[in-house]
Amino acid sequence: MSDSPNLDPFALARTWMAQWEKLVNEHGTEMLAKPEAAQAMQAMSGAAIQAQAASNEATGRMLAAANLPSRADFEALGTRLANVEASLSRIEALLRAQSPEAAPSRPAVRRTRKPPE
Amino acid sequence: MVSAALESAQTVVERTIQRNLKGLGYLASPAPVLGTSTKDVIVSRGPMRLYHYHPLVDEVYRVPVLLVMATTNRGYIFDMVPGQSMVEFLLLRGYDVFMLDWEAPRPEDRGLAMKDYVEDFLGGAIAEVQRTTGEPDVSLVGYCMGGVLSTLWSGLNHAKGPKNLAVFTTPADFRQMTLFRAWSDPRYFDVDRLVDTLGMAPADMLLTAFDMLRPAGRASANFALLDNLWNDDFVKAHRMFDRWSNDMLPLAGEYFRETVKQLTWENRLLEGTMKIGGRPVELDRISCPFLHVTAEHDHIVTTEASAPLIGLIGSTDKEQVVLKGGHVSLIAGPNAVKRMWPKLDSWLGAKSV
Repeated sequence: MSDSPNLDPFALARTWMAQWEKLVNEHGTEMLAKPEAAQAMQAMSGAAIQAQAASNEATGRMLAAANLPSRADFEALGTRLANVEASLSRIEALLRAQSPEAAPSRPAVRRTRKPPE
Repeated sequence: MVSAALESAQTVVERTIQRNLKGLGYLASPAPVLGTSTKDVIVSRGPMRLYHYHPLVDEVYRVPVLLVMATTNRGYIFDMVPGQSMVEFLLLRGYDVFMLDWEAPRPEDRGLAMKDYVEDFLGGAIAEVQRTTGEPDVSLVGYCMGGVLSTLWSGLNHAKGPKNLAVFTTPADFRQMTLFRAWSDPRYFDVDRLVDTLGMAPADMLLTAFDMLRPAGRASANFALLDNLWNDDFVKAHRMFDRWSNDMLPLAGEYFRETVKQLTWENRLLEGTMKIGGRPVELDRISCPFLHVTAEHDHIVTTEASAPLIGLIGSTDKEQVVLKGGHVSLIAGPNAVKRMWPKLDSWLGAKSV
């Protein structure tokens, strides 16, 4: 006598999915490792990068014509802000070093723990 | 037999009802909140974030632990939810835990190079941990590319070195990462044009590359979710890992350019020709205790790519362990709770006094 019948509607799909996954992963990665696949992928991403570069350039020109700051201007501003942040961090660190009691106080832990025997 | 059939039919009907009810709930519910262990952000500079977790015990080991996250992903994989958080596990085991985590680099960060990540961010984090704890010794624990950064820093600073160096799934032979290597074949992949045009390696490009390592992975995971919608634990775990794996970070352009050219194309880590800021990285002069934990079924950093690392390290006290699991399940989830975390604790505890 066989066991009780399997009434789970997902049982068949589960088996099919496992086989499909194995097949696609095996053959897919095999195919994707071929130089032709790399060439095709990079050709597509190259075209996307090219389009992005052209769009950046055109947008930059438009913004310049409208006397508006470009992305590069904002990036330069960001760099200057980052430098200010870095200077502030250095000043904060120096101040902290000079007045250790000003550091946020949390209950001190003992650093004497030993591993269990 | 009839009663067994009835029982089976009942289970199927119950699960079908639960799938439908919980499926609606799944679609309507917000993303899970992760990374909630209490912490202070003690450094926030550029893409670098340094956290200090609040100790959960009164007596900790003398040597603090600095977790170094991979630069492509968020560090909350180490701190998912209570009970499934490596950070919480380490805190309860008596470690003083810090984490070097990353935010997406901003456009002005495009010029950040490998030297900045190794010497400034990681070196700076180590100095801050030393300052905060008052301890000269620090143990480094790096994951994937965080393991590479930790190894590079240790190879540059072998004289003062970390107290202990533990890395997980860290590649050493980039030739063996065959798909990444094929896709970045210099005959077809113009990394200079990508970086010079975009300034970054976009996160969606990196996510697609990781997805293509297992082309059926995403469809299969979605099917498994549908199949298991009745199971709250499965759904919870799926949501956590799904959120994390999609939460990918772009990479600063110069850092990506150097990673592709020096590591993937020229395989400098394995060849022993890696230099950072003009200084040679001397892995053979690292002398601190070293542990490399790799995953048996890692499809991202394969065993062939990670296994040679231990041979490059000069330490006499060194160990490589291959544990069951994949690239992510090695460090988070039930597999990690059972295997990797206790292994790390048993290795690190005695070396942290």
